[in-house]
Amino acid sequence: MRNGASAVLARPWVTEKVLLGLGPREYVKSLLTPGNLVVGLILAVGIPVIIYRFAFGLGAATNLTQQAPWGIWIGFDMLCGVALAAGGFTLASAVYILGLEEYHPVVRPAVLTAFLGYVFAVLGLLCDLGRPWNLPIPMFHSFGTTSVMFEVGWCVFLYTTVLALEFAPQAFEWLNWKRARHFLVKLTLGLTVVAVMLSTLHQSSLGALFLLAPNKLHPLWYSAFIPIYFFISAIAAGVSMVIVESALSHRAFQSRLDHHVNLDQLTTGLARAAAIVLFAYFFLKLQGLADGGHWALLATGWGAWYLFEMIGFILVPSLLFAHGARTRRVTLVRWTAAWTVLGIVVNRLNVSVIAMNWNAAQHYVPSWMEVVTSITLVTMGVQMFRWVVNRMPVLRELPDYRDAH
Amino acid sequence: MIFHDVVTLYTFKAIEYVIALSFLALFIPFWRYALSDRPATQPAMQAVARRAVDLVEWFNIARDVAFHPGHAWARVDRPGLVTVGMDDFAQKLVGPIARLDLPPVGAEVGQGEAAWAVQVDGKAVSMVSPVDGLVAAVNPRVVETPDLANRDPYGEGWLFKVHAPRFAANVKGLLSGRLATRWVEDATDQLRLRMAPQLGLVLQDGGMPVDGIAQAIDPERWDTIAREFFLS
Repeated sequence: MRNGASAVLARPWVTEKVLLGLGPREYVKSLLTPGNLVVGLILAVGIPVIIYRFAFGLGAATNLTQQAPWGIWIGFDMLCGVALAAGGFTLASAVYILGLEEYHPVVRPAVLTAFLGYVFAVLGLLCDLGRPWNLPIPMFHSFGTTSVMFEVGWCVFLYTTVLALEFAPQAFEWLNWKRARHFLVKLTLGLTVVAVMLSTLHQSSLGALFLLAPNKLHPLWYSAFIPIYFFISAIAAGVSMVIVESALSHRAFQSRLDHHVNLDQLTTGLARAAAIVLFAYFFLKLQGLADGGHWALLATGWGAWYLFEMIGFILVPSLLFAHGARTRRVTLVRWTAAWTVLGIVVNRLNVSVIAMNWNAAQHYVPSWMEVVTSITLVTMGVQMFRWVVNRMPVLRELPDYRDAH
Repeated sequence: MIFHDVVTLYTFKAIEYVIALSFLALFIPFWRYALSDRPATQPAMQAVARRAVDLVEWFNIARDVAFHPGHAWARVDRPGLVTVGMDDFAQKLVGPIARLDLPPVGAEVGQGEAAWAVQVDGKAVSMVSPVDGLVAAVNPRVVETPDLANRDPYGEGWLFKVHAPRFAANVKGLLSGRLATRWVEDATDQLRLRMAPQLGLVLQDGGMPVDGIAQAIDPERWDTIAREFFLS
C-alpha cells in the first residue's frame, strides 16, 4: 500500500519537475521537432563511435601518433571548452567580488555554461586518454608535483567541483531544498574567490603545457608569454561567450526569461569589457612577437595566417566591440562576440594542432571519428543546457527565492 | 660584446619599448572611446555640452538656435527649412515627458500659436510654434522615445521641421545671443519667486533644479504654471 501511495505521489512530482507538466505521451510527442531529429541523428552516430573508441582504442579511432599525441579532443574539446567556460569565473567575480550587481541576471547562465563546458571538456579528455581508468593514479596516488599537467589536472578537477557547488543552488531551488540552498548561497563569496584562484592557475597552465614543445610549435605562436596569453584571451572568450549565450537563450527560451532584465544594456557593458581585454591582449601578443624576433616569418604563409589571427580575430573585434558599445549597436556586438568566440577556437587550434609540428613531414589531420566525437560532445552539452534551462531557474529567479544573494 | 651585438640588442629592446609606449599612449584614448556613449545617448547636460551651448542660471541655451518666448526654439537648416524643438528650460520645467503630440506632416503652424503638446503625468500642456509654415517632417525617434527631448533638447530631441517661407519676418519675434540670455535670466527669476521653501536644495543656493520644476512647485496645478511660461 505504501509503495502504491508513494508512486501516486511521485507521479505529479515527475510530471511537474521533469516532464514540464505534460503526461509521458505528450512529453515524448513534444520532443518530435526537426531540431531534436538532428540531435538524435548526431547522437545515433556519435555514441557508437565513442563506444568504438573505448572498445578498440585510440589507434583504431584516431589519427594520433607519437609525433602528434594531441588532437582535436585536446585542442578543441579541452582547450576551447575551458577557455569559453571562463565566463563563469569572470562574471561571478564581477558580481560577487567587484559588486557589479547589474550583471546578476547573466551570472547563472554563465555559471551553468561554465559547468557544462568543464564537464564536457573532461569527457573529451577521457576520450583522449589512452587508459582513462588509470587517471586516479596520478591524481591521488603518485603525485607528479613538478608537472604542469599535474597542476592542470587538479585545478580542473577542483574547479569543476566548485562550479558544481556554484550551480547547485539553482538545482536546489528546482527541487525545493531550501536549507541546502540556503547553506550553499552563504558560501557564494568564498566559492567565487576559490574559482578565481583556480581559474587563474589552470587557464594559464593550459598554455604553459606548450612551453614544453618549443621545437614543435611554430615560432610565431611559441612564446614565453603563452600562459599569459591563454589567461587573458580566456577572459575575452568567456565574456564573448556570455554575450552569445545570453542572446541565443533570449531567442530560444522566451517563456523562461525575466522580462525586467535589460539585456541590451548588459550586452553593451560586457562588450566594453571585451574591447578593453582584447586591446590589451593584442599588444601583449605584439610584445611576444617582438620578444621572439621572428619578424621575417611574417612574410611566409604561416605569417599571413598569424597576422589574420592577430588582426582579424583580436584587433578588429576589439575595435568593433568598442564601437558597438559606444553606439549601442547590440546586433553588431553580438556578431562580434560570435566572431571572437570563433577567434579563440582558431587560436587554441593554432597552438595545439595547426601550427604544432608545422615542420614535420606528416601533419596531423583528425579522423572522421575524432570529428564526430567532438560534435557529439558539443551536442550533448547544448542539450544538457536546454534540459536544465527548461526546468531550473537559470534565466530568471523564482519569486520565493528573490532574496539577497 | 662586439658592436654588432650591441646594436642588435638595443634594436630588440627599442622595439619592445616602442610597443609598450604605443600601448600606453593608445590605451587611454581607446579606454575613453570604449567606455563613453555617443553624444545622442548621453545625459542632456553632457550632450548639449558638445554643442555650442551656454549655461544661463540653471539652463542650457544653444548658441545656434533662436528662441521663441514660449520656450520653443528654431534652427535654420537651409533657407526656408527650419527645425523646431523645445528648450532646456521647458523640458526641465515639465520633467520626464511621457508623450509628445506633434502636428502631422503637412499641418500648418503659426508663430505664437499652439502647435504641439507635451504629456506628463496624464496632463497635456500645449506649446507654441516659433515660426509660421507647413510641417515638413516629424522626428520619429522623439515620438517613440519622448525622453530624447529631455536628454538632448537641442540635438536628437528636435521635434519637427517646418517649411518656413516667412522666416525672415518671424525671426524678429525670436531671441538669440544676449537677448536670449537676459530672457532666460528673467524667466529663472520668475521661477524663483514661485518656488516654495520645501523645494530644499534646488533653491537659490546653487543646486541644480529638479526634473519637473513645475511639479515640485505645485503638484496639483503644475500645468497652469507651465502654460504661463509656455504662453499657451
